[in-house]
Amino acid sequence: MAETPSGAQKIRQVEAIANGTVIDHIPSPMTLKVATLLAGPDDQVFMGMNLRSSLLGRKGVVKISGRELTERSVSSLALIAPTASISIIRDYTVVSKNPVPVPSRFEDIARCANPNCVTNHERWSTRFDVVAGKNPLRVRCFYCERSFDAADLTLI
Amino acid sequence: MDFRSRHVLSIADFTRAEILHILSKTREIETSPRIDMLAGKVMATLFFEPSTRTRLSFEAAMQKLGGRVIGFSDAGSTSTKKGESLADTLRMVEQYADVIVMRHPRDGAARLASEVSRVPIVNGGDGANQHPSQTFLDLYTIAKLFPELTDGSRTLTIAFAGDLRYGRTVHSLLSALCHFRVRLLTVAPRGLEMPQQYLDEAAAAKVEVEVVPSLQDAIDGCDVLYMTRLQEERFPDPLEFDHIKASYRISASMLQAARPQMRILHPLPRVNEIARDVDATTHAHYFAQAGNGIPVRQALIGLILGAL
Repeated sequence: MAETPSGAQKIRQVEAIANGTVIDHIPSPMTLKVATLLAGPDDQVFMGMNLRSSLLGRKGVVKISGRELTERSVSSLALIAPTASISIIRDYTVVSKNPVPVPSRFEDIARCANPNCVTNHERWSTRFDVVAGKNPLRVRCFYCERSFDAADLTLI
Repeated sequence: MDFRSRHVLSIADFTRAEILHILSKTREIETSPRIDMLAGKVMATLFFEPSTRTRLSFEAAMQKLGGRVIGFSDAGSTSTKKGESLADTLRMVEQYADVIVMRHPRDGAARLASEVSRVPIVNGGDGANQHPSQTFLDLYTIAKLFPELTDGSRTLTIAFAGDLRYGRTVHSLLSALCHFRVRLLTVAPRGLEMPQQYLDEAAAAKVEVEVVPSLQDAIDGCDVLYMTRLQEERFPDPLEFDHIKASYRISASMLQAARPQMRILHPLPRVNEIARDVDATTHAHYFAQAGNGIPVRQALIGLILGAL
């Protein structure tokens, strides 16, 4: 285990990282999806699934070494894991920890799950408006007007 | 209230006050039509899938007000077949017309069109999604029969029967009725019930929805029965379809206990779900309902072209 600063005595469920981003409170089934979404091909990624959580029952944690998230990644994360929190780690220290900001609208983040939606047949951007959230987050396609659980959408 | 250049895409885009304004303008145009109101205006009807009824009704509405119509009723004869995008087709047509009425097989096509076109788009049906002029004509029909709908003096009971899952007219009408003082009854075969999304919408609007056990219960307990067609392709088992079809058929003998003022509506075409012997009863109102399509569409076009 990497050397940790004093005070971090409790046994970690997932390896600590020196610098990078920790995404916590991921709905457990979405953990792999979050890791795939956020990590680059050469990134070191540490993951925990089905960890006990008082908030979610079971949660996932993803730690990505040496990377901070882009604005687009944060939007994608908000769609598939709206309960998540994002911590920025520098030199083993949490410099910021915030819940993922869930916008009221998602543009060009995901494909519509309705196979007959016009956005799946014409070259056009997609848009979803949040109708209820966060657990589960419900969104409505601006075009075909169908509502979906955000977790069921495919990211672009 | 200014509707000039406004797109008519989805009933969800209209407030109660706007719906009432459209109904009142429809009444005005029906009672005193102005035959040159839209002289010099051109309407393009882009029907990417066939719909004789809706297209003829829009075209008649436009021509009765002195306007002209261009368009196509079969996407096979257009550049779409050559791979032209919907957006490009619209960028071309908007040069030729003052208003575009569009029917398209894809859900959301009208909304997309409205983002491209500089002239107003009227949605004549986009896939399984919306068909707002049908909803306005349904509302106008109910309001003409029962002024209580708009003055709110009594709770109207409106029953929906048949395919409530895929029938887009019932979804839009339910959404529109949520603006008014109504109680809803539903009766549908298993698997074809009203989707939760619309039940939630009714609940949010504090509109009571009751699922009744049979078509007879709906007939006996409502002011308006909105009947829809069952489509055979929704049933994997033809035997099951035959069985269910029989229990979703209204005949004159079933109307004995109906309220005297009860009226049956249907978006048409009907197949077997309303027996021919119902046509001669005072309860049949579906053909008069279709006739209301003309003044409703005249009002919509007149309003968005700034002539009303």
